[in-house]
Amino acid sequence: MDEKEKKERLEALESLHRKVSRRDFIKGAVGTAAGAGLLLTPGMNHLYAQLFKKKKKKKKKAAPEGPINLEFVVWQYSLETIQDNIDKFTAAHPDIRINLTGYPWPTYHDTLVLRFKGKTLTDIIYNGEDWLPEWAAAGWVAPLEDYFPDIKQYKDKTANYALADMTYKGKLYGLSYYADLITFQFNEKILTDNGIDPPDSWDAVLDACLKLKKDAKIAKPFIYEYDQNLPNFYSAYVSQVYGRGGDFFDDDLNPVFADSGSEAIKHMQFLQDLKVKHGLLAYSPHESKVNIAMNTGQHAMTVMFNYMLAAMNLPPSRLAGQFNMTLMPGSSHACLGFAKFYCMTQQAAEDEYRREAAWKFIEAFGGGDYRIAKRRAVEKGLGFAALPLMDDPDVIAAWKVWIDMNKFKEQATLARNGTQTEWTGMWSEFFRPLIAKGINGDASVSEVMDQGAEKWIEYKKLLMG
Amino acid sequence: MRDKKYARYPIEWLFPVLILVILFTVFPVGYAIYNSLHRILLVLPTTPFIGLKNYIEVLTSIYFKEAILNTLLFTVTTAPATVIISLGIARLLLTKFYGRAILRPVVLIPWAIPGSVAGILWLWIFHGQWGLLNGFLLKLGIIKNYIPWLMDARLAKFCVSVAHIWTQVPFASILLMAALTTIPKDIYEAAEVDGAGAFRRLFSITIPQIKGMIIITLIYECIMGLTSYDVVYSMTAGGPGGATTLLSYFIWAEAFKLLSFGRGAALGVIMAVITFALIMAILKAIPTDILVKE
Repeated sequence: MDEKEKKERLEALESLHRKVSRRDFIKGAVGTAAGAGLLLTPGMNHLYAQLFKKKKKKKKKAAPEGPINLEFVVWQYSLETIQDNIDKFTAAHPDIRINLTGYPWPTYHDTLVLRFKGKTLTDIIYNGEDWLPEWAAAGWVAPLEDYFPDIKQYKDKTANYALADMTYKGKLYGLSYYADLITFQFNEKILTDNGIDPPDSWDAVLDACLKLKKDAKIAKPFIYEYDQNLPNFYSAYVSQVYGRGGDFFDDDLNPVFADSGSEAIKHMQFLQDLKVKHGLLAYSPHESKVNIAMNTGQHAMTVMFNYMLAAMNLPPSRLAGQFNMTLMPGSSHACLGFAKFYCMTQQAAEDEYRREAAWKFIEAFGGGDYRIAKRRAVEKGLGFAALPLMDDPDVIAAWKVWIDMNKFKEQATLARNGTQTEWTGMWSEFFRPLIAKGINGDASVSEVMDQGAEKWIEYKKLLMG
Repeated sequence: MRDKKYARYPIEWLFPVLILVILFTVFPVGYAIYNSLHRILLVLPTTPFIGLKNYIEVLTSIYFKEAILNTLLFTVTTAPATVIISLGIARLLLTKFYGRAILRPVVLIPWAIPGSVAGILWLWIFHGQWGLLNGFLLKLGIIKNYIPWLMDARLAKFCVSVAHIWTQVPFASILLMAALTTIPKDIYEAAEVDGAGAFRRLFSITIPQIKGMIIITLIYECIMGLTSYDVVYSMTAGGPGGATTLLSYFIWAEAFKLLSFGRGAALGVIMAVITFALIMAILKAIPTDILVKE
């Protein structure tokens, strides 16, 4: 490089430097950042959608060459059985592969929201009755009825409360994986030994607890599944209020639980008194731990998922055979019935090949001859929504070992749905810590109820206008 | 003498790094502010501009008052406690004793453990039904019944603070240990000759000599306390009720439990402002010569 060339290059660089002054540079950088920000705003996403709409429509995806891989997301319960069922399914359908992912139940909702929001590949999920309206409104799950009209054949074979839980805006979104009741369970031997009848009312529950503390030296006869992160922490409370004949909302979805003298208020006060005033209430963070605690003989009564009665009553439980259920105490003896179900994501529904494969899977697991539901019912005592299984001899034979079938059927006929709206899931997240405070005596019952009602109204206004 | 012509292009040289800063700092902050000004509720199809409404709603919500009080209490207790404990450990690790070579890396272990895992470890210690602590106390005959450490509002606050301090002590100890090594030994020797005891040496030599580092560590621990999330999440998830709900957890809850990304973003901005204000207040409260001297 000669001197002349060096000089020219230097001048060129200086000229560039002059052209891009510091101020210009900062302006440019801010402009670039602002531009990048603007390009990524949700508003611009709509513009992109419009711009590329035609292209997207024209583009038809080619059929996959190998097997179709489906992502199946569940909460962690009995993963070995699920995998075993998957293996059987994929053996019968070699063109489909299933990748199973399990998340802990307490964080399932939040994790799924992250998956949806992050557009992580997800095809089939376990869904809950309280999340369906929320996820359907957000466009994350697909109405199966729109794509597979054959699904209607299952409506008549499904328990009413479960069918309602799987339906949003009149369309069926899934087939049930598990349906159950939240029931009142007790140690029959302890109660009988102490001359106590199964309680018919909540006053009778308090009397039984006081008697057991005095006569049987059981310090905390009632054990409560207490974890505000569990969606069923709210459901269990609802079930107890239903037993009293109470309700949470009127037909126009106005909150009535905070009204003076409501059964919800009375029951919250009852639980707070049981805990704080009488010191008769023990906590346990999960149903599996309630099972262990009940099997120590240090507790005599609880309210939880009915299927836990099977776990408590069957070997290897220490006190197997001592437990029973009775109708939910209160004037109406109603309880909460609900369904958890297999659901297809909108992602899967938008791809015709994945959609077809996912439907095959969902129907095999949640429909057909109900083989999977029957296996769970027989092996684990899991509840089901499929009415034909109610009269299945294998199910009856397996269940009568751990439950009074007549009592269960009586409770099932009295079961009621929860109120499910687009905001129920979010509101439940808000209300559960308040329930926890209320029971624990960290807040007054009226505070809990008023704050809960206020939030419900806020959501209702926002989403219904 | 350097040719000025060749030293005139700092902006050009900085440009690649500036792009990264814009992408990973300016843009996320800008996007968070943008989100905080919009109603972004995931179940709603639109995200209208609502001005400062998210901020107003968050600031007037029942949980905010509780969360801010919890966070401030958590910060003002854990940050000084961490510094005091760390100072003791740092001094101990500089003292020659048998087994020091083993103890030094052992003290660092909590630093190597992710916060969420540390939370679970402490959950096993404090758990009301099968926790190590209850078993230990019961065996010693100190308690007759298990204590529900994490299900009692006051005890839960204490438990998460202990776990948080445990995760913070190693790093703070390293910082203070480094500062302690800079103090000339002859000052201590002279003090000893003059008859100064251990406490006198601590308050008249050690602390004044490393006060700059103590302040820096305190500021760092305040930031860690204000933004602590993982330990609390895995131990109590903010409960019971809202007893251990810190602002950082509240941000998560607003966004991913209540699906309100707008409010979550508003909370994030509020938290950044609070953190900034607190740090400025600490810096303003200390004499200016301390940091300059260091």
